[in-house]
Amino acid sequence: MTQHQIEHTSFVIERQLPGSPRHAFRFWAEPNLKARWNGCHPDWAILEDKFDFRPAGLEIKRWRTPENDELTFHAFYLDIVPEQRIIYAYEMSFKGERLSASLVTIELTPSDGLTRLKFTEQAVFLAGEGVREQRVAGTEEGLDRLVELVAQ
Amino acid sequence: MHAQTLDRMFLALADPHRRGMVEHLSAGPATVKALAAPTAMGLPSAVKHLKVLEEGGIVTSRKAGRSRTYSLSSGALRTIGDWARSQEAAWSKAFDQLAAAMLEIPEEGTH
Repeated sequence: MTQHQIEHTSFVIERQLPGSPRHAFRFWAEPNLKARWNGCHPDWAILEDKFDFRPAGLEIKRWRTPENDELTFHAFYLDIVPEQRIIYAYEMSFKGERLSASLVTIELTPSDGLTRLKFTEQAVFLAGEGVREQRVAGTEEGLDRLVELVAQ
Repeated sequence: MHAQTLDRMFLALADPHRRGMVEHLSAGPATVKALAAPTAMGLPSAVKHLKVLEEGGIVTSRKAGRSRTYSLSSGALRTIGDWARSQEAAWSKAFDQLAAAMLEIPEEGTH
């Protein structure tokens, strides 16, 4: 039995947003405004939808895809400073298998009447190894089998 | 080793239009029409590119009614690099939508 190493990564996205940090913050804090830009898959059935935007609050979403697979998102708000900063941890699972776990930092800074957004995600990626372990029994012919799976 | 299979996979991603489609699909499933729209590509040409991607194991498709919906195949995202790229692309697209929504909804006046 091979013990696989899990993998870490991080990435940063920077954007100029049209409006003040006060305006921008509302699009994270208010569920109806957040829904206007975040994660809309019209063909997924919503099984669960909780949104408790405060430090130590939980955001939970659970969907069923048209292929009848379940996808879940669990987030925990660690730190919220209105109009300035949001820090949360989240995990994503697919068919009961954890895909990733992340720490996200959102920074909003005023700049000439607009907002500078800095989004940083520090992630642990689990699916690669999980998928490999689950689908490829044995290691000798692992690569060949993997290539076959990709080709299917 | 199945060199032919690897060849097909690399061929599938060798074209900038097809890489654009993969980036688009990383944000979620889409129809042929939606995938063709950003580059003003003709539908027959888009179908051809998607066929190559499907043969390369990068995407899968599903017919719903009269339209066919494409999605990234789960096997295509198995390294952390793939995953991070798809996450970044999905956030980028979401932030475009955020900027658009911020313009549509007026700021609340200060009290």
